[in-house]
Amino acid sequence: MAAPCINRFALIFRSISRTALSRCNRNGGRFMSTSTGDRNPPQDTSSGPGGSASSQTSNGGYNTQRTGQGAQYSDELDNSEDLVSEVEEEEMPEETEEEYQTKQAVLKASLPFVHQYGWTKKAIVAGAESLGMPSMVHGMFPRGGAELVFYFYEESNKELESFLKQKVTELKEKDEKIKTGPFIHDAIETRLRMIIPYIDKWPQAMAIQTLPQNAVQSWTNLSRVVDDIWFYAGDKSNDFNWYTKRGSLAAVYKSTEIYLIQDRSEDYTDTWNFLENRLEDVVSAGHLARNLQETNTVLSEGAKGFCVMTRNLLGMNNR
Amino acid sequence: ISQRAKDEKTRKLLSRIIRVDQAGELGADRIYAGQIAVLGNTPVGPIIQEMKEQEQEHLETFNKLIVEKRVRPTALLPLWNIAGFALGAGTALLGKEGAMACTVAVESVIGEHYNSQIRDLMEDDPEKHKELIKKLSKFRDDELHHHDTGLEHDAEKAPMYDALSQVIKVGCIGAIWLSERI
Repeated sequence: MAAPCINRFALIFRSISRTALSRCNRNGGRFMSTSTGDRNPPQDTSSGPGGSASSQTSNGGYNTQRTGQGAQYSDELDNSEDLVSEVEEEEMPEETEEEYQTKQAVLKASLPFVHQYGWTKKAIVAGAESLGMPSMVHGMFPRGGAELVFYFYEESNKELESFLKQKVTELKEKDEKIKTGPFIHDAIETRLRMIIPYIDKWPQAMAIQTLPQNAVQSWTNLSRVVDDIWFYAGDKSNDFNWYTKRGSLAAVYKSTEIYLIQDRSEDYTDTWNFLENRLEDVVSAGHLARNLQETNTVLSEGAKGFCVMTRNLLGMNNR
Repeated sequence: ISQRAKDEKTRKLLSRIIRVDQAGELGADRIYAGQIAVLGNTPVGPIIQEMKEQEQEHLETFNKLIVEKRVRPTALLPLWNIAGFALGAGTALLGKEGAMACTVAVESVIGEHYNSQIRDLMEDDPEKHKELIKKLSKFRDDELHHHDTGLEHDAEKAPMYDALSQVIKVGCIGAIWLSERI
């Protein structure tokens, strides 16, 4: 009597698993949720009567959803349209090489204007105009000032990576082993020093990064920093330690960054002392964790031994 | 599409594949460990032991790849550690046939999964990923061999074979989906 029930059960599960399996196999990528959402900017800003070439390219790159402007689309953009339907857009918009280079150039030119205008669209406009581009180019940057912050962050990360690579090569040439503690200290100090030129407006940048719409990208940037540092420091962990190491380093980095923006000491020596103390905390936390584990082992062995002894005393041993 | 975007796509694909494969091999290793804990002293013990050793080999390969390609391991590793052992021990308590049924179900999901990964890699860039495709093909063949071994040892005679098999398959697919993302 139970058999028909179980058969029905089995049939239901079979259909679920077939659907799930075929979906998993076919649409591998499509299940991934677009956490930052589709990067569709408010369409109107960039679709003005596009006179210059640059605004036309920017127009096409983002407005692939619009079907009306078929004649203006180049072949390149048509191809990217196909790709858009197949590949999910996560944080990476479907952009052409040209578009990417233009945006990088504009953002680079905008950095000097940060002292005047802060991390805002105004700075981007000023940067674009200094390159001779129309101010409408700011439409290429839907997230406004945040784009400038991310550009600066990513450039600093690249600089940090080349610094770390160089340091590792130097140590290898001298045939020395990497001392993790000082290496990490130097890495974080180097990375934070890159902020110092913009320290007057950095609190604004930090605030921008904590906005919910920017939080994911900021998190990605921060994890890039700590991952790079640990990788070049020689981390070879492939289990949960991977997370604990990077989590603790991220906490140290973030807290030191916050300390940095209110530090008034000469050459920020207080900040580097603060950093040293935080790194020591992490090391001692690691020792504490290990001690706790050992204590746990000892205690449990002790408890087991006590139970065996009691059992023997009470004569309950294998009789 | 810019070179940067293309590289990013490949990197994401690779890291997804290696991450989920490491989790899968750890899970499989733990499943066999659970089965051995219950059935270690029976005649079928050595067979499971041999399969476990092959899974360990696979796991070591992926551990190395994780470090080499700078891939983030899945945060759910401790969970799969426990869940795998529980599944192995649980099915082994149903007897040797139960353990074999579990093996068959898991290995068939993994076999299809490896196939779809190989397809994805070939689609992306067969030249660049030649090494990895070769490794995955070998592992897929090993897993299918385990699948056949399971069938040989009376997997289908397990109690509630159909239901058990389907539940385990759905669980595996869910685990794969999660490990790819988390």
